[in-house]
Parts: sequence; structure tokens; C-alpha cells
Amino acid sequence: MASQTETMHRGSRTAALRGQSAFRRMLDRNAAGYVFLLPWLLGFFGLTLGPALASLYLSFTNYDLLQSPDWVGAANYVRILTDDPKFGAAMRVTFTYVILSVPLKLAFALAVAMAFNRGIKGLTLYRAIFYLPSLLGSSVAIAVLWRQLFASDGLINMALWQAFGYEGPSWISNPDYALYTLVLLSIWQFGSPMIIFLAGLRQIPKDMYEAAEMDGAGKARQFFRITLPLLTPVIFFNSVIQTIEAFKAFTPAFIISEGTGGPINSTLFYTLYLYQEAFGFFRMGYASALAWILVVIISLFTAFSFLGARYWVHYDD
Amino acid sequence: MTDAPHDLLSPPKVRRSPVKSILLHAVLIVCSFGMLYPILWMISGSFRPQEELFGSSSLIPSALDLGGYVRGWSGLQVTFGRFFWNSLVISVLATIGNVVGCSLAAFAFSRLRFAGRNFWFALMLGTLMLPYHVVLIPQYILFLHLGWVNSPLPLIVPKYLATDAFFIFLMVQFFRGIPKELDEAAVMDGCSPFRIYWKIMLPLSMPVLATAAIFSFIWTWDDFFGPLIYLSDINTYTVQLGLRSFVDSTGSSDWTALFAMSNLSLIPVFLFFLFFQRLLIEGIATTGMKR
Amino acid sequence: MSMMLDRRSVLWGGLSALSLATFHTPALAQAARLRMIWWGSQERADRTNKAIAAFKGAKPDITIAGEFAGWSDYWPRLATQVAGRNAPDLIQMDYRYIFEYARRGALAPLDDYIGKGLKIEDFGKANVDSGRVDGKLFGVNLGVNSSVVIYDKAAWEKTGAKAPSLGQTWEEFAENAIAFGKKKPKPGYYATADASGLEPSFENYLRQNNKALFAADGQLGYEASDVASWFKMWDGIRKAGGCVPADVQALDQLNIETNALTTGKAATAFAHSNQFVGYQALNKSKLSLTAYPKVSASSPTGHYLKPSMLMSVSATSQNVQSAVDFINFLVASPEGVDLLGVERGVPASTAMRDQLTTKLDDVSKAMVEYIAAITPNVGALPINPPQGAGELAFVLTRVSQEVAFGRITPEEGGERMVSEAKNTLARK
Repeated sequence: MASQTETMHRGSRTAALRGQSAFRRMLDRNAAGYVFLLPWLLGFFGLTLGPALASLYLSFTNYDLLQSPDWVGAANYVRILTDDPKFGAAMRVTFTYVILSVPLKLAFALAVAMAFNRGIKGLTLYRAIFYLPSLLGSSVAIAVLWRQLFASDGLINMALWQAFGYEGPSWISNPDYALYTLVLLSIWQFGSPMIIFLAGLRQIPKDMYEAAEMDGAGKARQFFRITLPLLTPVIFFNSVIQTIEAFKAFTPAFIISEGTGGPINSTLFYTLYLYQEAFGFFRMGYASALAWILVVIISLFTAFSFLGARYWVHYDD
Repeated sequence: MTDAPHDLLSPPKVRRSPVKSILLHAVLIVCSFGMLYPILWMISGSFRPQEELFGSSSLIPSALDLGGYVRGWSGLQVTFGRFFWNSLVISVLATIGNVVGCSLAAFAFSRLRFAGRNFWFALMLGTLMLPYHVVLIPQYILFLHLGWVNSPLPLIVPKYLATDAFFIFLMVQFFRGIPKELDEAAVMDGCSPFRIYWKIMLPLSMPVLATAAIFSFIWTWDDFFGPLIYLSDINTYTVQLGLRSFVDSTGSSDWTALFAMSNLSLIPVFLFFLFFQRLLIEGIATTGMKR
Repeated sequence: MSMMLDRRSVLWGGLSALSLATFHTPALAQAARLRMIWWGSQERADRTNKAIAAFKGAKPDITIAGEFAGWSDYWPRLATQVAGRNAPDLIQMDYRYIFEYARRGALAPLDDYIGKGLKIEDFGKANVDSGRVDGKLFGVNLGVNSSVVIYDKAAWEKTGAKAPSLGQTWEEFAENAIAFGKKKPKPGYYATADASGLEPSFENYLRQNNKALFAADGQLGYEASDVASWFKMWDGIRKAGGCVPADVQALDQLNIETNALTTGKAATAFAHSNQFVGYQALNKSKLSLTAYPKVSASSPTGHYLKPSMLMSVSATSQNVQSAVDFINFLVASPEGVDLLGVERGVPASTAMRDQLTTKLDDVSKAMVEYIAAITPNVGALPINPPQGAGELAFVLTRVSQEVAFGRITPEEGGERMVSEAKNTLARK
């Protein structure tokens, strides 16, 4: 019902509308905005802010979980930044993981989403199958499986031997390669960004393609002139979110190395290190300081992404 | 752009030559096998004798043994049926909460102009960045004081208060893609913001709402850290918690039963996915047609 | 309780004020309603729940609500509950963690209950003392345990090499392993896993050399040269093909299912005796068990009896006496002992062990017999480890990997181990 009115009003009347009642609308919207935001505000002040501030406080203390925290000032931060070789190792691992896994995963997810956005027979089934790995989440079975694939006598090496006569190492437990098997794991679980891309593609009005076709635009031109620009908000979302998630990646390394970050710290993800410190070695204060340093790093990344987004993300507003 | 009505119909049909089509399917089937391999392996693992599990990478078990399913289902003092029910209740309630709570906030952030909007938005994004493990204990103490520990409330109530910023951000991005002329026109017709949210935004956002529902459900179902901390009575355990109880790294574990129950635990999420992906794909088309 | 009104209470008070509404804290434990937490598999849960039910039959006024989790989930869960001052009354403890918890005041001392409800006199001094931290009893031994060599006898015999046996020296063991490697039945299969990164194995080696992980003053009980000679010995075996290569050993996550023996890469594992049942369950061929090799025929065995796990009582428990009664039921009454079996290890009480042994299957019996066999030659309990000691096990594993992957020499490994260990102990 509403949509009929909508479409009729499009274009001609909007310009007039903008000028007319801008002032009144702003007042209304101020109140309306906060009404809609109320649940989130309640959650933020009631549930999220307190624990976050508590962890900020704890980052300036020695807190072993079982006894009261002792204020130590900036000592944790000083130690992390000047005298902690594991921090350096964790940074290297995490940055390598972010830089490799995010673009590859996104490219893969976008490609598959594009392929699935057309009329292929059995599409529903394929889509479900391609999403399956992501359903597995952090299942214990993944850990066992990944060894079956990447151990010295795993399937990958069997295939390499059959195909090229090449005798591969035990990828997953070799400090030179272990991290890359986790990058692969991340790419293999590309289901979430794929679904989001798919939802984005579904939201692009079909009439735009028809119009473009009438103008004689080819498939490639349609992709670059319509699909890509209209998909930019979703691409932006996926890249920001995947980057944040990759910085915080915990489960893959935890299930693969049983939380040790081995061999030789080669899979010592930042949050894994933080977790070890907090729950393995009873240094929650230190872990909190690690967490807040990570927050600063991620915030910088995100802020730059938002600044950069002005130049390439296309919104319809 | 044309002035033609918003035509949002089913996937564009592409005509392909049979050779191309066969090739395409061949590629997809090969890829599917790669994707399916772990599941196949888990299924075969659930039937094979325990001592074969870690020493062999073949897909074919040496014997078919249903014992894992029997032992797994009623192995703990409460049957897995109970765990499935608990997981289902928590996941469904959390999913509804996420969709409702986050869509309200996302509507405010994407469509309403109010003082401090950017400030709140930045704070909201900030909540995505703090690693979970350092807020765990303060949060536990908070819920303990609320009297919610050892109940599913800490796993459900926060979702209604839109504490999962991921979904807000996701919906904001999609809401912003819906042409603004629509709600401006509605305002002209005297629609209240709530009516715009309810009658325009939500119906036109089926793909993203379905996406959010899928993710909420699956992630709540798969979550074990929250249940681990907040649920201590075995009668309230979720499936993931039950599953992890099979593994004792220092003693003897029943791996076959673990694999058997892992397979069963995938069925509900898979069905949920199958159902909601229809909404994701067809959602816009059907609502667009209702005039 | 009022003593605890400290900075943290103020902080948490502030937190709850921030919350939506401050409902009241859940009621404190009511009289004789106890909570108990343990880690373990379903079999342990079954046995424990039966024991709880049987105890309820004997003492109807005490109700025990059990919670359990898998090993890796157990510790964050317990830490969270203790940090929130919501600890269960009965806490299953690990020998490594009991020092962390007891020294930080999370556990109740049980000395006053010995004789009063806790009848553990016939455990023998060593098995009682293994629950002591800095002289006070904080945990009751639930099962006696020791390091062990588990091996696949048939696989060794097939190669003609001499299988590990009681009294064998490390030198002989190395020779035999290398001989095994030369006639190995299939590629990628080795005589033994690489124990160079396992702290219990390293500790055993130190004790054979009359050293220890820690000295009485809380400092390291060994020097760089000790680590170096340990690494060197394993390096020799590794380079001669006697044990699994570095990248296979790195697959081991110090649990049964990832050990090279279970994954079919080696014929020998270095483990704890209570894991024998678990190893046998995951291995097709029949397994045997024996003591560690020795540095020389006349050296001490290096073995000592340690608890596979302990039962402790929370410092905040309102019902310590009832909790102690239940612990006593588990370790000193035939009914409780029979229900638990040897699933948590061999009972420490000789009377209980004797009456239980007749009811066991062969695999469990082999484990009990092993403990009986090594007991005459075991050494004293090691000195209590200093704070931060738990982290050193991970340091040893990492440094051993650096040696095994050829990044540093065994000598450099020794230096690195000692300097990192000293840094870790000096921290805080």
C-alpha cells in the first residue's frame, strides 16, 4: 500500500519537501531519534559501559582474579610497549593474519555471492553447501579435521604427492606455515560475508539493470556502473567488520593449538596471548592493558576506514 | 534512472549453452565436495570405532557402529533432547531480540537526524572492539548482582537491548541503501517515524533482517563461552556445553559420541539456514508485490 | 565477610549501580546445600553423580548440586566464579593449579578436619602431603598418579628392537629407539614421541640427576647445562631417526588424542599413569606401561607419587564440615570409592585400594599394579613450586621446539630456558 505512494512521489516532490518543513522535522526527529535509540542506550549504560570501564580500571592494576586488584599506574602499559617479546610476536602474527585473510576472504565471498546471484539450477542447495563450513563455527571437530588435512600424512600432502611427486612438510605444525593454514581456515569459512554480499545484491533494484541494458551497456559495464557502486555500503561494512574480527580472532588458533599459540609462537594471536595471560597465568590486569592497546589499534584502523569511505562508498542519501 | 515502479523480482534468468552449464555445475560440484568434506568426515567419524578416529584419514569407517549416537544421546545424566530444547529456546529468543533491538537502533542511526548521532554511533562501533575476555568478569559480577547467574537471562536480555553492535552496523548499512524518497514521501503523508520504520523500512529490508536472523540464531547456537560462564545446572545446559562435556583432555573421552552429537547439533542450524535463506532471497520480491 | 570490603567491592558496587536495577544478590548457600564443580568426561560425571546420590542416601540433609565442564573450559569458568565470589563449595583441583588457588586465599585449609570427619591417615605421608601448599592441607588426594612410559609392545617386537623396560637406561633406550627407526615397519612411524618439551619428563630427568625444577628458596633448581644435556640427548635421538621429527611432535597438544602414539606416528608415549585407560581406549593395539629410563643403573628413578587430582573446599564455603564429609565419603568409604573406581586415579588409601582392585578390569588393574611396582623406589615430593611456575611448562615446550626445528643449538636452548625462566619467576 505504502509503496504505491512512495513511487509516485519520487523525484519531483522531494526537492520541494526538503526546504518546506526542515525545521519542524528536525525537532521531531531529535525526540524520535532518542526514542528509537532507547533500548540501545539502556543496554549501553546498563550492560556494556560498566564492564568496559572496569576493564580499563583493571588495566592499571595487578589483578590475579582471586585477590583484590593493586593499583600499579601505567606499569602494565610500559611493560607491554618496552619489555615484552611476546607482545611483538603476537602483533606480527595478528597483522599478518589480518592483511592476508581479510582481502582474500572478502574477494572469495564476493565472487561466490555474484555467482549465486544468477539463475543456476539447484542454487539453494549449492548456497547451503557453501555455507556449511561456517556453520561448524568453533566445533571441536574442526581442530581434528584441520590436522587430517594439513599434517605430514594429511590429505593435502597426499594430493601433492600424487600430483607433483612433492613431499610436503607437516604444514599445520611447522612454525613457517602454521599461520597460513589458519588463514586458509578463515577463507574457507567465508559464509558470513557471502550472505551479507548476497543480501546486498538482492537489494539492488532490477530496473536499474534493465535501464542500463536499454542504453546498451554490457555486463562488465553494468558491474562497474551499477553493481559495484550500489554494493559499496555492504563492501565497506564487510571490510570494516572482517578487519575488526580478524584483529580479535581467537577461536581458530585456540582450537588448533589448544591455546598454546605454538609451534614457537607462530600462531600466537593477540587475543590468544591476552587469554593466556588472563586465565592461564592469572594476570587479568596485564591482559586488560593488552586489550585496551588492541582497542586503540582497531579504532585507528576503523577511523581511517570511515574517513576514506567518503571517497568511495555510495549511499542513497 | 527511469520512473518505472520499483521492480524487485526474482533472480534474473540467464540463458546458457548446455556445455557451459555442465561445466559450471562440474566446478560447483567439485567445490561443494571441498566444502562438504568435513561434514562427511564427521559423519563417518560418528560411526567408526573410537580407536580408528585419530590414526586414519580415510572417509570410510571400517565398521558401522550406531553406538555413538545411543551413548551420546543419553550419556550425560540429562538427555541431549533437553540440551536441544534449551539451545532452541535461547537461540530463538536471542534472535528475536537482536532483530527487534538492533533494527530500532539502526533505524535511528540511519534515518533520523538527532543531536549526538555521530557520537553515539562511534561509541556503538567502539563496543565492537574490546576483546570479550577482559569484560567477562566484570560482566559476570554485574549479572551476579542482578541475580541472573545460573539462568539464561544474561544470554537473552542483552540482545533486546541491542548490545550486539555488529547487527546495528549491518542494518544501518542496508537501511541507508533504501531510497530516502520513500520515507520523505511518507512524512509528507503524515506518517510518524514509527510507521515509517514499521511499514517501509522493515518490509523493504527483508534480506538484511533475514541475514541478521540467520547469524543471530547460528551464533547463539554455536556460542559456548556465554553458556559456560552463566549456566551451571546441567538441566539448563545448551547443546554446545553438552558437547564439550564429552572431552576430557586429561582422561578418557568418548570421541565417537562427541562426533555423533556434533552431527545432530548441526541439523537445527542447517534447517534454520535453509528456511531463512528463502526469506533472504525472496523477501523483497514478495513484499514488493503486495500492493 | 566485612574484611572483603576493599577496593574491589567498591568497584563492583559502582558497577552494579550502573546496572539497570539492582536486584538482590542470590541467597548465600543455605545450610547443607553444597555446590561441587569438576572437569572430566561423561564417565566421570556418571560416577560422580552416583556418588552424590549415594551420599544423599547416607546423609539426607546434605544436598550437593554438581556442575562440570571439559578441562579447557573448566579453568576460566572456575576463575570467573571465584573472582565473582560465587565459588562452588567443593572444587576439583589440579596439582599445578592448587598452588595458584591456595596461595591466593581461594581455598579453605583442611588440617583441622583430619580425624574429624576426614579419615586420611592411611594415605601415607606422601599422599597426604601432596595436598599441602606451604605446609597447610588444601586438597585431598583423589587418585595416585605418576609419570609413565606407555608403549606398543608388539610394534617394538616387530622391529626386533628391545622395548622399554623397567631399569633401562636412557642410553639403552636411545640405542633401541634408533634401532627401531632403522627397521621401522612403515614410513612416518617412529619408536617414540619426543619428550624433550614435556615438563614432567624433564623433571624426572632432573630428579635422576639429584636436581629439581625448583630449589628451596623458590629459585630454579637446575642450570643451563642441565637443560642443554637434556635437549642434546633428545637431539641425538631425533637426528638419528629414533623419535618423531619436530613437526610431528609439534602436533602434540599434551593430551591423549593428539599424542604421536594415538595418531599412529610413534610406538611410545610419555604420559601420566592415570591416562593409561584413556590411551588404551584410543589405540587399537594392546598397550603396556613401564617406568622412565634412568640416567644410570644406580641413579634414583626420578619418579614420585603425585595426585592425579585433588578435592578442595572453597574459602568462602559456609559448610566446610559438610563438604569435608562428602570428600571423606569419596576417598575413605568403600561405597564412595567403589563408585568412583580408578577413573580419577588409584585410591591413595591402601585399604580402599585393596578392596577395589579385585573389582577392576585388566586395563585398570595394570595401572594399579604399575603404581604398586614403582612405589618402593619413588622419591620424596618435590618442593612447592614458586608463584608463576605454571608458565614455565610452556616456556620449556617452546624452547624445545626451537631446538627441534634447528633454530638454536641445545646449548643455546639451555641458556634461553634458564634466562626466560628466571625472568618469569622474577615478574610481579
